[in-house]
Amino acid sequence: MAKVVGICDLHDAPHLGKLTEKRPIGTVSFLGRYGLMDFALSNFSNSGIDRVSILVDRHLHSVISHVRDGSIWVNNTKTGTQRIFYNENVPGHKFNTDINNLLSNRLHFEGLDCDYVVVANSFFLMSMDFRKYVDMHIESGRKISLIYKRVKNAKEEFLNCDIVKTENHVVKDFAVNMGTAKEAQVSLEVFIFDYKTLVELINKTREISTLFNIRDLVNYCATNGLYEVNAFSFDGYVAPILTFDNFVKYSRELLSYDVRKQLFKEEWPIYTTTHNTPPALYGEKAIVENSFVSNGSRIKGTVINSILSRDVIVEEGAVVKNCILFSGTKVGKGSHLEYVVADKNVKIREIRDVAGDEDHFMYISFGANI
Amino acid sequence: MSHNVVAMILAGGKGTRLGLLTKKMAKPAVSFAAKYRIIDFPLSNCANSGINRIGVLTQYEPTLLDTYIGNGEKWGFNGVHSLLTSIAPRQTDEGANWYKGTADAITQNIEFLDGLSPDYVLILSGDHIYKTTYNEMIDLHAESGADATISVIEVDPKEASRFGIMAVDKTDRITEFQEKPKHPKSNLASMGVYVFTWKVLRKYLIADRDLDTNHDFGGDIIPTMLNDGLKLQAYRFKGYWRDVGTLQSLHEANMDVALDRSDLHFYGDMSTRIYTEDTYSLPHYLGKQASIKSSIANQGAIILGKVNSSVISNEVLIEEDAVVDRCVVMEGSVIKRGAKITNAIVAPNTVIESGVEVNLNSKEIALVGGKVAR
Repeated sequence: MAKVVGICDLHDAPHLGKLTEKRPIGTVSFLGRYGLMDFALSNFSNSGIDRVSILVDRHLHSVISHVRDGSIWVNNTKTGTQRIFYNENVPGHKFNTDINNLLSNRLHFEGLDCDYVVVANSFFLMSMDFRKYVDMHIESGRKISLIYKRVKNAKEEFLNCDIVKTENHVVKDFAVNMGTAKEAQVSLEVFIFDYKTLVELINKTREISTLFNIRDLVNYCATNGLYEVNAFSFDGYVAPILTFDNFVKYSRELLSYDVRKQLFKEEWPIYTTTHNTPPALYGEKAIVENSFVSNGSRIKGTVINSILSRDVIVEEGAVVKNCILFSGTKVGKGSHLEYVVADKNVKIREIRDVAGDEDHFMYISFGANI
Repeated sequence: MSHNVVAMILAGGKGTRLGLLTKKMAKPAVSFAAKYRIIDFPLSNCANSGINRIGVLTQYEPTLLDTYIGNGEKWGFNGVHSLLTSIAPRQTDEGANWYKGTADAITQNIEFLDGLSPDYVLILSGDHIYKTTYNEMIDLHAESGADATISVIEVDPKEASRFGIMAVDKTDRITEFQEKPKHPKSNLASMGVYVFTWKVLRKYLIADRDLDTNHDFGGDIIPTMLNDGLKLQAYRFKGYWRDVGTLQSLHEANMDVALDRSDLHFYGDMSTRIYTEDTYSLPHYLGKQASIKSSIANQGAIILGKVNSSVISNEVLIEEDAVVDRCVVMEGSVIKRGAKITNAIVAPNTVIESGVEVNLNSKEIALVGGKVAR
């Protein structure tokens, strides 16, 4: 059996406005209990890839408090490892690339006993079995592979993502998605490398550009004829979380069971950090419709079309409609919230109206008192 | 807390009065309050008390309980100086034995306890619902110089004859033990929670071993200690405590949580939270036509029908137009479209078929399991 290690790459990730001001996208709360990076980490775990390095470019604290010792995603806690790679001494953020990170941590990354590396990110949410693609990679005899998805909504979604042109399952060219065509083959920025090739390449990259990240490197290899790059297609559900609006849209889309069952599959659990909160408690006047409610929440008011993380309190007479409330949000008596994303520990006092609109959700920052 | 304590949890009982709930598992493994198993309570109480060395004494259907206990990680007992292990009766040099009574379960594990050399042994029951730390009780035991300290709770004097009753003097020193007395001398009922000074208990266990007794703490060891003039102290427990040995009491304790009328302080009090297994499921989902009032629901549940005064466990599905009233619905059960059920405990993985009516207009608690069709 091939020896495979995983890289969960938090560098070069999109920003979701204020949601990612104090945390990397990987730890942004999703559907009431997950961190966005849980999908990649669970894909590794469910694919039997037990040695994973998480490349962190900033907000290390947030990653550590989410991942803890990593044992949640590891099958065997002796042979498996979740390592956090962090490069501290980089002047200027744009130089702080994933390749730079791997070079800074080369003592840990080079010399691993492994044959292949799978690189995944935290912003394309999907349930993907990497094993199938690793097998295809091995069979192809090529050193680099990329996984893409054929989409029909490239005009509105996946903007600025890489579009790949392929011939016989090999990448022929890259372009940036400017939203000009509906149909496109969008790179999911999941890459498979022969381990030795990756080590060699990252050491060479600096001679080409110190600003290169792994994504650039693959583009460069494919378009300059350095290596042929396999292009493998993925047919499953993908939620691209590239903007704040994406975050809101896909969170709400997943309220639908028909959509949800495409991402959450019985045989493919998504693991996450556990918080030991009791079941949610509903009062005698609670009204709740079309919503996710997480444990530890106490609902005495009305909650409609919303997603509530753990320990959210909705007091009597309060109305929460079309909202995403992060953990510890408290909505006081008689308050009315609509089209709001409330970050952790927001307190809305009694009888306040706070509303955004369908197209512009209002964001309330961490710990705000209103 | 600096006392050197090992806890032993008695978890071997069959729980016959819980019918099919304990057909294939021990009573302490029965689910409670949508998310927990009963044994989570004593185990979490130990963790929150800083007692990190625990033996769980199993006997009846131990497999599921053993698997659940695992390496103790769920309650944090996988740390450096921690130990959580389940100990079933076994074949030894002296032959094969069952645990013949609560005291005998400890007697057969004297070597295990000697190996840990505790000053005090805390004896707990694996089937009680309460949230506490044992520190105050152990402090009292140490300070009073007692040989044994027994946790007692005040019960309604009219009910006292259902319990093991402790008569005490002014200093709460126990003067007499009465097992289910016709004429109770006090209203202080034993909770089956004991702290013993290990050296003393050890001696009494060995003496009891070869006697023709029931080898029971309440019936044999405690009365003998009292007869011998040892110092037995009562510790007055304040707060919520329930023995959930019957369907009625199990249902009622669940309702206490659902209706938020217990002083278990599940919500808000972070210092004594109850730890359990995480099922890694999505937060529960409530559908467009759903209604839920005066209830609790755990992650993984999907509620599309109507729920009132109920406990909805993980991975439960309540379909459209189903009505669930005053029920404890255990994990994985499905209440299909249009089914109606009241006043019931629904065993794990039960399927109630469409349109079926269960226990409507009945005041008795029904226990349902398997496939329930018309």
